[in-house]
Amino acid sequence: MDFFLSLVIAGACVGSVYALVAVGLNLTFWTTKTLNFGQGAVMMLCAISTALLTAQGISNGIGVIAGVAIVALVGVIVERIAVRPALKTAGSMGWVIATLGFGILLQGITSKFFGSQAIPFPEVLFTVQDVIDIGGQNISLQYVSIFVVSILIIVVLEGLTRYTVLGTAIRGTAQDMELAIVQGLPVNLIVSGSFVLSSILAGIAGILTAQISGTVDPAFGFELVLMGFVAAVLGGMGSSAGALIGGIIVGIIGKLVGGYISTAAEHGIAFALLIAMLALRPEGFFGRAEVSKA
Amino acid sequence: MTSSKSYSSLTLIAAALLLASPIASAQQTIKLGMTTALTGPFNEFGEGNRRGVMLAIDEWNKKGGINGRKIELAEAMDDQLVPDKAVQNMRRILDNKDIVAIIAPAGSGPSLATMDMLEADGRPTCNPLAQSPSVIYPKGKEQPPRKNVVSMAITNESEANRLGQLLGKQYKNIGVIHESTAYGVTGAELVKKSIAATNPAAKVQIESYNQRSQDMTSQVARLQRSQVDAILVVGLGADFAVIRKNMSRANVKVPLFGSTGAVTAPYLEGAGDLAIGTRSVSPAAFGQRPLPAYAQNFVDQYRAAHGTDRWYGSDAANPQISMATVVGNGYDCAVVLLDAIKRAGSTAPAAVIAALNQTKGLPGVSIPSITLTAELHEAFKPEDLGLFEINKSAAGALYLKPVVE
Amino acid sequence: MNSTRTLLTKLATHPLALLVLFVVVFFGAPYLRGATLQILSFALVSILFTQSINVLTGMAGQISLGHAAFFGIGAYGSAIIAKTFGLNLFLTIPVAAVVSSLIAYLLSYPAGRVKEVYLAMMTLGFGQIFLEVAREWTDLTGGVMGLSGVPSAGLGTLIILGHKFSTIDYFRVLLLITACSMIFIRNFSQSRLGRSLFVMHYSELAAGSVGIARRQTKQLAYALSGLLAGISGGFYAHLVGYLGPESFAISRSIEVLVVAIVGGLWSSAGQVISAIFFTFLPEQLQLFAEYQFIAYGLILTFTLILFRQGIGGLLFLPPRFIRQTWLTTAVEQQRQTTAASSKTNEPQFLKIQSVSADIKVQEITMRFGGLVALNSVSLDIQAGHITALVGPNGSGKSTLVNIIAGVFPPTSGQVFLQGTDVTARADVEMAKMGVVRTFQDPRLVPHFTVRENIMLGAHAIMHYTWLEAGLSMPRVRLQEAQALEQCNEILQLLDIEAVADQAVESLPYGYRRMTELGRALLARPKIILLDEPAAGLSDVEMTRLAKILVKLKHLGITVLLIEHHMDFLTGLVDEVVVLDSGSIIFKGDMLGMRQDPKVIAAYLGDDEVQHA
Repeated sequence: MDFFLSLVIAGACVGSVYALVAVGLNLTFWTTKTLNFGQGAVMMLCAISTALLTAQGISNGIGVIAGVAIVALVGVIVERIAVRPALKTAGSMGWVIATLGFGILLQGITSKFFGSQAIPFPEVLFTVQDVIDIGGQNISLQYVSIFVVSILIIVVLEGLTRYTVLGTAIRGTAQDMELAIVQGLPVNLIVSGSFVLSSILAGIAGILTAQISGTVDPAFGFELVLMGFVAAVLGGMGSSAGALIGGIIVGIIGKLVGGYISTAAEHGIAFALLIAMLALRPEGFFGRAEVSKA
Repeated sequence: MTSSKSYSSLTLIAAALLLASPIASAQQTIKLGMTTALTGPFNEFGEGNRRGVMLAIDEWNKKGGINGRKIELAEAMDDQLVPDKAVQNMRRILDNKDIVAIIAPAGSGPSLATMDMLEADGRPTCNPLAQSPSVIYPKGKEQPPRKNVVSMAITNESEANRLGQLLGKQYKNIGVIHESTAYGVTGAELVKKSIAATNPAAKVQIESYNQRSQDMTSQVARLQRSQVDAILVVGLGADFAVIRKNMSRANVKVPLFGSTGAVTAPYLEGAGDLAIGTRSVSPAAFGQRPLPAYAQNFVDQYRAAHGTDRWYGSDAANPQISMATVVGNGYDCAVVLLDAIKRAGSTAPAAVIAALNQTKGLPGVSIPSITLTAELHEAFKPEDLGLFEINKSAAGALYLKPVVE
Repeated sequence: MNSTRTLLTKLATHPLALLVLFVVVFFGAPYLRGATLQILSFALVSILFTQSINVLTGMAGQISLGHAAFFGIGAYGSAIIAKTFGLNLFLTIPVAAVVSSLIAYLLSYPAGRVKEVYLAMMTLGFGQIFLEVAREWTDLTGGVMGLSGVPSAGLGTLIILGHKFSTIDYFRVLLLITACSMIFIRNFSQSRLGRSLFVMHYSELAAGSVGIARRQTKQLAYALSGLLAGISGGFYAHLVGYLGPESFAISRSIEVLVVAIVGGLWSSAGQVISAIFFTFLPEQLQLFAEYQFIAYGLILTFTLILFRQGIGGLLFLPPRFIRQTWLTTAVEQQRQTTAASSKTNEPQFLKIQSVSADIKVQEITMRFGGLVALNSVSLDIQAGHITALVGPNGSGKSTLVNIIAGVFPPTSGQVFLQGTDVTARADVEMAKMGVVRTFQDPRLVPHFTVRENIMLGAHAIMHYTWLEAGLSMPRVRLQEAQALEQCNEILQLLDIEAVADQAVESLPYGYRRMTELGRALLARPKIILLDEPAAGLSDVEMTRLAKILVKLKHLGITVLLIEHHMDFLTGLVDEVVVLDSGSIIFKGDMLGMRQDPKVIAAYLGDDEVQHA
């Protein structure tokens, strides 16, 4: 297959997963101006749960649902014990460190009880050999399906936030929490909900990534969450469209750099992009610069 | 009168016993020490090594120890393959003057970090696993090795030479993907040299990856673009599985080779049926059927102590090939050291080292015949490697099958 | 409990006790086993490294999730220079530390522009980049093969000027450097620069209002932090003798954060204990390795929430940021001087020497996006007068004050201070020119005492550098003493001397207002801008405040205040300006304002009785 095309397709695919992570991060950023720095562990937990359950003989579909359910619960817990108390008492740094710590805790518990070895992940979406012929090129169906699933989820989410009452409630809470409380919105529920949703998205991203690599281990996910950050920052914190485009750009640039320049550079380029973006245009491509009366 | 006499004689006897026992026990056991990855993501290697060492110690103790003295693994410390930790642990081990011989950590990182201090200390040390050449030959192969360090590990050189000859003879355009670690970098470099020696006209392209990367499209695509006719991966099993999957998605169907560390359980589990046909150069020891008596004894002992666990494999009749170089090498290290101590008749470092350098034809598990000299401190020879190919058994399990070239 | 704390604090800070400890450890070194000596050396390295977090995160509040990078720059730097040029560590470590400091300084440029979560991400990214560079730049760093053969005492390869360093020698040097660094940091934290680091975290605006340059302060914090991390990295390299890139991964950054947080973010003493604990724990408890992640995870998740002050807060009294001996002397001095003079409660240093300052505001318009906050406002604030700015909420009063103070420039229009055009000048500059302001909500450093908060005002008046501060040069003592005396005069003026050494977070609102006023005064204002100074005060406090403002007028200081309390303003102000929806609707005296129909319609209402 064409060299350039194979890089772009793989890049778009992994990029769409980064975008999924970024959208998840955006959700909690909207409602509480916080991010879960331990999001990587959430991804890992979902993927490992699914892998372990399917290894016991449970069907793929149920395994995925169970994995997602587990991390949804984790989302509630993170918000309750790490974020909420930290916001109240420890100021800006508190929740960063608390969520980071929570992720490390999850990783530690997982490796203590399930070992640190990589375990195989079942083929949930097609198999590695399935290909589709587009314009004379053989493209892996796994890449295509992952890309489609990610985009679909993001589009549906965007639709929900824009066009439903629930979405309006979320956006209202994001704009002005005190006003939302006064208006009678169940703010606690909305905040909790945003963390649950964020964790679900992370979990799905974890499953999709594990699909690409084929194995999961407790250290899985840390790198991905960093990529999610980069995607979110590039696109502009809080913007779903930005997250999508940011993620795909990061993914494609990474692969192109790896393909044309050196595979060693592939890894660092995303962080270079991150720092450059934060230094030059912190609001990202699609964000708006914050204006405050001071 | 009788009571006071018996009382005093009892006291005398008690005193004698009290005095005798601590002295007796302190001088009795021969103490070995090791720091390795007992827990953590690499404990497969570290814990495997430790089990091998313990198996050897238990066996020797059953046969009466050395000159009536029992052997003991006095210090088995955990460093999780973190170099700093290994340095701290090793300092503690070296502080213990009762320790007579040391087994090095289960990886190049911590081994390199502690080798200088071990050399400075001078006590006999055996390296079970680390393949980096500078572990044994810090100034290169032309210069003498570290006086007090011997190695049972597969040498990068042996492996690279075999692979190089294999690949160089059959293929003209070879792609090598290696992990970004000491093991990967030196392995790839040596293979490239070996291919060049075998077939100067052959082209070699080298790509690298960070351990636990999720997607290796760039590496595979670059090789695909160069139209390589064979691919070799120098790395570990989990990452090898990712590469294999990427190859499949990219429709790269060239012959695939893996280093010893790559064709382990995580690869078989991760790649599944895709692994079938992958070839590797692995220690030949466990490939023979029937197993040589010495090796058979070893696997039987292991099974008796631990059962068919993750080091042994699920098939009692067919222990995993990797067990030779994850557990077997620890066993061989202990045996080599104990054998030298026995022949030296003393635990003084100089005597033991002299005896080590005279080891000749000692039977080993991972190395059928161990020979060491003052210049040759790496016991592993290219002949100890065999060619294997991954097959599927009738029962549906994947395993490494020896192949005749 | 408090008495235990007092005792422990006395022990931990008493020069004699510390000297004894130093001597005991220094001369006791040869009697320790090799392994213990080595672990102690690791502990000292950890203490040094933690101090770098103390400065950047504890004091300046800048989070760093990638500090292992600076540690690594120091380590690799020293190792590479030593191996390439054969220089000894007394040269290579300082050079490497300076390199680390420089890179940290450079990082402060992008880092200084972003806040909180973005800063966390940026530092995380930076740490990862360093790791990649260390792994891939094989020619320089040895790549993944690592760098071996670093001169090290433990291997007998550390030879300095012909003398072979033993592990004991190395330990002693490290001990000395650590002790000196701790003293340096303590001196620094009790200087104007140390204090300014704290205010950066809590309110950048408050910092600007008294002339504390934000960018330079952040740069200083980063550079000093980088220097300390570099020094600790250098000593690490020569301790282990072999460097591999994996030693500088995220786990190292997380470890140092854990140590700092458990010790107590700005408590040096607590951090020392924490560093020693965390170095010895894995050693003593082999089990710890398995549970390390779980332990670190629990610590990071809950400590800041449950156990904010860490070990430092548990065992010691809160650290103070003024040199206590200087303080006692200065207070004594000031009391004597005041007793001798006749002018009590009227700090002469505040007296305007030449001419009082006036401000002219010409056709100022301010737009925020689509909102017009001020619409072509022109105003003369008379020199030496007390002028009030009143109006309904949202009329633009705070915006006008912000523009005059230099917080942001107007969309159009000009501001003149004593005839000079100061329109575009930033708040820091304006403060240095004598335009000082207070805020609607007192922006103080909560854990500082009243005195320490007020001392922030003297930042721009004092001129010693960070180096002089750390080395405690005589200049520093002189300037601090003078500022402390003046501070005491202000405390007496504001009648808050009784609570001078209590933490402001424990004091009622009225005291906090006074503290902020005090800070503004210590900055020697020519013009003082007060944003609702009477809000939340009791009647007694309001009367006192009015008396103080009159005194300020006597001293020649021009006063502009935003207020809603009509009674408070009556009899106090010379002129009142009324704003409504961004335009001035009245200028004149209080009586006139009360009767003006426009003002009544827009603001006062028809009733005679006014309540703010």
